[in-house]
Amino acid sequence: MPSTVVPPRPSVLDPAPWNFPEPDRWELDNGLAVQAFDVPGQHVLSLRLGIPAPLAAEPQEVEGVGLIMARCLDEGSERHTLEEMAELLERKGIAMGAGLGERGLVVEVDVASRHLPAALDLLTECLTSATYPEPEVRRQVRNRLADIAHEHADAGSRAALEFIATYFDPGDRASRPTGGTRGSVAAITAEAVRAYHAGIVHPDHATVVLAGDLTGTDLQSLIGRTLGSWPARHPVSQPAVALRENPGRRAPDAGQIVFVDRPGSVQTELYVGRPGPDRHDPHGWGAYQVLSFLVGGSPSARVDRVLREDKGFTYGIRAGFRPRARGGLFVAAGSVRGDATAEALDALLQVLDLRGADLAEHEVRAAADFVARTAPGRYATADAVADEAVGLALDGLRPEFVTSTLAQARALTGPQATDAWDAHVQHAWTVVLVGDAEANAEQVRALGRGPVRTVQSRRPSSEPNLAEYKCGDR
Amino acid sequence: MPLDYPIATRTLDNGLRVVVSQDHSVPTVTVNIWVDVGSGDERPGQSGLAHLFEHLMFQGSANVAEGEHFSLLMGHGGRVNATTWFDRTNYFATVPTGALDLTLWLEADRHGRLLEAVTQHNLDNQRDVVKEEKRQRYDNQPYGNAVTDLVECVFPDGHPYQHPTIGSMEDLDRASLETVHAFYHRHYRPAATVVTLVGDVTSEAGFAAVERHFGPLTSGPPPRPRPPSPGLTPITRPVRRDRVEDVPNDRLYLGFRLPVGHTKEFTASALALDALGGLTISRLHRRLVRGEELSTGLSASAMSLARGASLGFVGVDVAHGVSTEQVEDAVCEELTRFATQGPTPVELEAALADTERSWLEALAAQDERANLISHYTLLHEDPDYVNTYLDLVAEIGAEDVRRAAGTWLQPASRVTVAYLRDAALTEGAA
Repeated sequence: MPSTVVPPRPSVLDPAPWNFPEPDRWELDNGLAVQAFDVPGQHVLSLRLGIPAPLAAEPQEVEGVGLIMARCLDEGSERHTLEEMAELLERKGIAMGAGLGERGLVVEVDVASRHLPAALDLLTECLTSATYPEPEVRRQVRNRLADIAHEHADAGSRAALEFIATYFDPGDRASRPTGGTRGSVAAITAEAVRAYHAGIVHPDHATVVLAGDLTGTDLQSLIGRTLGSWPARHPVSQPAVALRENPGRRAPDAGQIVFVDRPGSVQTELYVGRPGPDRHDPHGWGAYQVLSFLVGGSPSARVDRVLREDKGFTYGIRAGFRPRARGGLFVAAGSVRGDATAEALDALLQVLDLRGADLAEHEVRAAADFVARTAPGRYATADAVADEAVGLALDGLRPEFVTSTLAQARALTGPQATDAWDAHVQHAWTVVLVGDAEANAEQVRALGRGPVRTVQSRRPSSEPNLAEYKCGDR
Repeated sequence: MPLDYPIATRTLDNGLRVVVSQDHSVPTVTVNIWVDVGSGDERPGQSGLAHLFEHLMFQGSANVAEGEHFSLLMGHGGRVNATTWFDRTNYFATVPTGALDLTLWLEADRHGRLLEAVTQHNLDNQRDVVKEEKRQRYDNQPYGNAVTDLVECVFPDGHPYQHPTIGSMEDLDRASLETVHAFYHRHYRPAATVVTLVGDVTSEAGFAAVERHFGPLTSGPPPRPRPPSPGLTPITRPVRRDRVEDVPNDRLYLGFRLPVGHTKEFTASALALDALGGLTISRLHRRLVRGEELSTGLSASAMSLARGASLGFVGVDVAHGVSTEQVEDAVCEELTRFATQGPTPVELEAALADTERSWLEALAAQDERANLISHYTLLHEDPDYVNTYLDLVAEIGAEDVRRAAGTWLQPASRVTVAYLRDAALTEGAA
């Protein structure tokens, strides 16, 4: 495509003002809060139901019971078997799933708008009369054990597992996997799942979000007729476990380097973290969104400018702040060429040892503009709006939080960014590496960044422990 | 359901095809560019070149500094990236409306005036980055090379799809500045390019903006036409490849040639795969995952391609204590049964409903909608396909699906790639 005529580089016009959409909001008699976002042109409606259920509410001997419950939620009710329920959902193209996070259970339903009434009927049926048949629970336990073997075999998830075990206090639920360990998952019975459902699946304190083109939908009556029939507890109680009992305490010896040996790995997974803010931080969450992007959000961010674009060590390292209900973390993670392990870790930590005073006004401005100006596109679809709103609701925040956070990001100054960064730099890094330790651990030691503890990676196994099975479900 | 996304098309004098689909719901515009070159065009010894070249497109051009494409657009609120696949290379950005002109200017500069900025240093650096991408996504990943194994076995020697887009380490090492220059001259030209704009811009304003920046580019002499891609027929005898590796459990991939994309036959075979193994109610899930519990996870998918054939496969995680032969036999039994009986009314209804919701979800965001428009414009000259696809799907009946399965998804036509857990590495139940 040769061409000699080059028009001048165009200037950019300021973007139009934009706010996160505002929902209609009401509360049902059973305590369920409703948020309805009309997003014209979105033919697939996204429903998200958030039920507060701190992970610490799970009995320790059956940790992972929440995830098994989520997976079995639509696998049998008082009215329908799994096969019947699956047919009723799939004949109308209703995608229903559920997952579990630190703050609770989120049920997701995506459905073409004309099938919303059927979707709400079936969702209500699952919430009010799921039966958790023993064969289905047993099968999901078996599949979950296979998943755990996959998580141990994958370098990225292996690093994440070792990281939480090193970073968090062993007494804290956050130190153990959300979906449970081999031992705790193998101990999960249908009875335990039913008990957990009875304990947490209630409308009071829960929020349902619906987003999409709601033209011609009488949502008040539709939701009233379906989710309105979901009985509340009497008396309406507090969440089973208060968040303050699940603080995500850091382990006293968290500031260390752990090298998980994965013999023969051609790359090493780096996973590095230290404490960071939550969304309620006095410096404002918008400041941390900007800093996340500036440090680790693109190929030209601080980290990848060096590790990818200058050194060619990696396809990309992502870094940024991750809020928890209380407190949070800064995390950097990604994989680097095996024989460059020590050099890459050193380069990464040097970049992350950034001081607030090093931040240039122009990079703060560019990052702030990215965060603020990408928002209209990032929140243009029904699923993105619903995901954001339900996440905020579980954190006790209203959708307006998005707009006010973006306003803060847009107006962020260099000195404010400096103060925000410096407020969370005083703690030592937790460093996890997953790779060929025999070839690389010595060089990591030689960096002088602290002692290196080597962990042998047990070969992952998908074999169910039959003894545990027997004392489980039979 | 009838869809009516507005579609306006124009071809510039230099052969560049432009599609504009206005949508003022959000103050952003997606610029999505498809170039008619993918890994299927790579010459022997040059595998991975199309994708490596895509990386170089972010390293600066005549009037744009190294890294500036990313940093400038992101600083104005752009979300920017690119991908390479068998048939094409795709560059895209979603930007606030006020940055549309700048985006097109940057794109025109690299699409028209790249080479003077390509240096040995940039090439070496991005070669390293791409090699790490390969290690991360393929070599250091359990089952990571499954699709590579499948395409090597499903497609015949010399076929454009017989090697993976990421390429081989040896070929990546071999890429020189000369090969990069020759590749650019051979493939990058307005007449081989589609620019789609979706979002907050009228069709007239969109055409004018594209003309302003891409209009001055010239196409040069016409390239040598691509050799025709004769339609492939299914393979006639099963092919098998075993990989004994450090994987958490045995996994089987059963691969098939499928009809070329953008045909009723392809859609029917995609619906057949959905009914066989994509849905919760599908026969393979019902029997292997739930009924006999031979598998802990199962998926089926169809990948639409343009040169004489597409690719379909079923992936099955084999439950502990179950033999891969037992699993493969069960899958083959169900394939045979399905080809005889066709889908039940419920299976067909569910596969159609799933296809509808998935298509509507894909069209929900401006960027994905733009990508689909570019896809069907470049490869099939059908920019309106986003609107008509669901009507075409609704015309497909049970007999169409049965016939597609009977032709393409038969046990004799399968390639089996088996990833087998290396027993020598087992330490016992952990």
